[in-house]
Amino acid sequence: MSSNIYRDKKPVVVFLIPAFLFMVVYLYYPFFRNIINSFRQIKQLGSSGTGWNSPWYTNYVEMLYDDIVWVSLKNTLIMMVVTIVGQVGIAVVLALMVDNIGRGKQFYKTVFFFPIVISATALGLLFNLIFLYDKGMINQILESLGKTTLTDWKAEGIALVTMMLPVMWQYVGFYFVILVTGLNNIPDELYEAARIDGAGTWQKVRYISVPLLHNVICTCCVLAVTGALKVFDLPWVMFPKGMPLKTTFLTGTYMYYHTTQTKNVDYGSALAVLIVVLGIVLSKVVNWIFKEKDY
Amino acid sequence: MKKKILSLLLAGTMIVSLTACGGGSSSDTEAANESAQESVTAEDGAADAGTDAAVPVELTVTTTFAGEDGNAQNFKDAVAAWEAETGNTVADTSATSDETFKTRVVTDFETGSEPDVLFFFNGADANSFIEAGKVVSIDEIRAEYPEYAANMNDDLIADSLVDGKKYAVPVNGYWEAMFVNMEVLDAAGVALPGADYTMDQFKADCEKIKAAGYAPIAAALGNIPHYWWEFAIFNNQSPADHLEIPASASDANGQAWVAGMNDIKELYELGYFPENTLSATDDETFAMFTEGKAAFLIDGSWKVGGIVSACQSDPEDPATLDTEKLSHFEVTYVPSKGGERKATDLVGGLSMGYYITKKAWDDPDKRAAAVSFVEYMTSDELVPVFAQHTASALKAAPEVDESQFNELQVKAMNMMAGVTSLTGAVQDLFQGDCRVPTFDGMPEIVTGKVDAADAVAEGLDIYNNQ
Repeated sequence: MSSNIYRDKKPVVVFLIPAFLFMVVYLYYPFFRNIINSFRQIKQLGSSGTGWNSPWYTNYVEMLYDDIVWVSLKNTLIMMVVTIVGQVGIAVVLALMVDNIGRGKQFYKTVFFFPIVISATALGLLFNLIFLYDKGMINQILESLGKTTLTDWKAEGIALVTMMLPVMWQYVGFYFVILVTGLNNIPDELYEAARIDGAGTWQKVRYISVPLLHNVICTCCVLAVTGALKVFDLPWVMFPKGMPLKTTFLTGTYMYYHTTQTKNVDYGSALAVLIVVLGIVLSKVVNWIFKEKDY
Repeated sequence: MKKKILSLLLAGTMIVSLTACGGGSSSDTEAANESAQESVTAEDGAADAGTDAAVPVELTVTTTFAGEDGNAQNFKDAVAAWEAETGNTVADTSATSDETFKTRVVTDFETGSEPDVLFFFNGADANSFIEAGKVVSIDEIRAEYPEYAANMNDDLIADSLVDGKKYAVPVNGYWEAMFVNMEVLDAAGVALPGADYTMDQFKADCEKIKAAGYAPIAAALGNIPHYWWEFAIFNNQSPADHLEIPASASDANGQAWVAGMNDIKELYELGYFPENTLSATDDETFAMFTEGKAAFLIDGSWKVGGIVSACQSDPEDPATLDTEKLSHFEVTYVPSKGGERKATDLVGGLSMGYYITKKAWDDPDKRAAAVSFVEYMTSDELVPVFAQHTASALKAAPEVDESQFNELQVKAMNMMAGVTSLTGAVQDLFQGDCRVPTFDGMPEIVTGKVDAADAVAEGLDIYNNQ
């Protein structure tokens, strides 16, 4: 009886159609429309434009000579490294530590996961206050410790660090929860056997937890890298228009900047195409690098 | 078999429900069109907007009377009064006037989700929806409602840059001038600048203020350089040619623009802007000004409300105003460079007004209500409440009762009494991505990463190719 249910695929196809139509209308059509828009002259959002660019590929040539595109690509790549090292790396350490404590696991899980439930915009405003030049939390603390001058945490040399710290902090909990779940799936018998054989805590981590967590870490790395491509709201709230001196643009914020601020919608569309291409290429590369193992 | 029938029924229900949604709106639209034609016919000859609104309707209205705007509360009160008088309701989507607001409004028009009535700029910002025929001209409205904006002096209502017609009924004008925090000036031993203030005096004062440990100028060059941009250019021109956009960076006007950019660069190099001017937001530098850490702020008449709010313990409650703190703020003229522009020649005018959209005009239920709303908001009684210390276009402007204004508003009125000319903002004509090299590129200009002449030339090239 049960095999008959799956033999006839027609009902499955019928049920898939609404979701497929939804995807076509809200994902594939806008995507292909965006490619067309990148060849047109569009000055207003929502408008189909006033004609074709001459030559039609102007925006793509301009991208090559646009220094800010290269700055945003470099920043996005730095963001990927930061997410892998800062988010997944810290999450691994935290997960292993929490896994080794007897009581209070739930408390730490809740505390570390909490930033995920706060909107990135709210976090951006929060960190704006923390890094504020005049009366910001950090500058006030430094002042109370005897520092006499204010530090501009959004100045050219340090802005990127100020931008990436909150982004890194926000998603540590996300990977932490995934990794803790992965650790919970490792059979207790392995640890028990290791303990009987005289293994210490470090040895159990080194030879049991980390190797068996390999696939979960790979998944986290893939999620982190692809997620880094989409980081937008928190950096935009903290550093609108790539302030200062357009040094903090990411690919996403630069695309948004042209689409909504400079009224150069067609160039924004071309940047969106670049982001998609970059996303596809990078996800393939990352999937290849962090290949999961069969046990 | 039962499972097949069940699954087909479920899928069919979903598809039908989706189709029904789309089909419903289509048939609704047709019904609305039929109804519109019938109602328009029924209303032919009806000229009194106030009595047309037999069936209460909801008008969607967008204005800039929100946030720190000094008229935000006046607008709320006026809307409540109009709602009580007519029985209609207003869905108010007003927001603070900035580039995001402008983009939102223009995008709403492009996507067909424009409001019924909007209070918006009458310069180049409005070109796209006027070109698309999405707002109704005052003359067209007067053909059916002869009393529409009859209390306004038509000569003062701006013509559209697109077709020369008048669309927006103005309420209050604006001016841009220099606010001063006297606490800082007193601490630095600097006197309040007067009507003959020059750039050399300004720099000398800035030097004293800087030496006293304060930031002379409150401005976020990396965020909102607009006001300094406008006056720096104006200082190298005259009121007569300020609104002429240069053909190139090398002609006389173009050179004035380049000189203006270099003037800002000089002030930056002298260290007169806040240390974080390239990374701060406008809100941050404004807070520096109101908290007595910066001396001068060039901004618009709408900032009077912002300064008053900053002097209230509860920004929403005027009763909590700290009059002692407010008394430290003055508003005066923008220093002149000694050329044809005098310090008392300011930027200002009637740059905004009420538009009625074609969508509302073609809706028989909303047409009369929209006209009634604009007539109410631009009446002889309400305009002075909104205009306060700015100009209006009323034919018979009533005497202003100063007793109802706070100290800063009275100072603003006194300052305005000494103004020798008000010229519109050239940036209102210089719209779109042509501004990017000198607006968003201001940090690069003042830090010397981009030459001012190159930035001006790039912006003008974009403008000329638009």
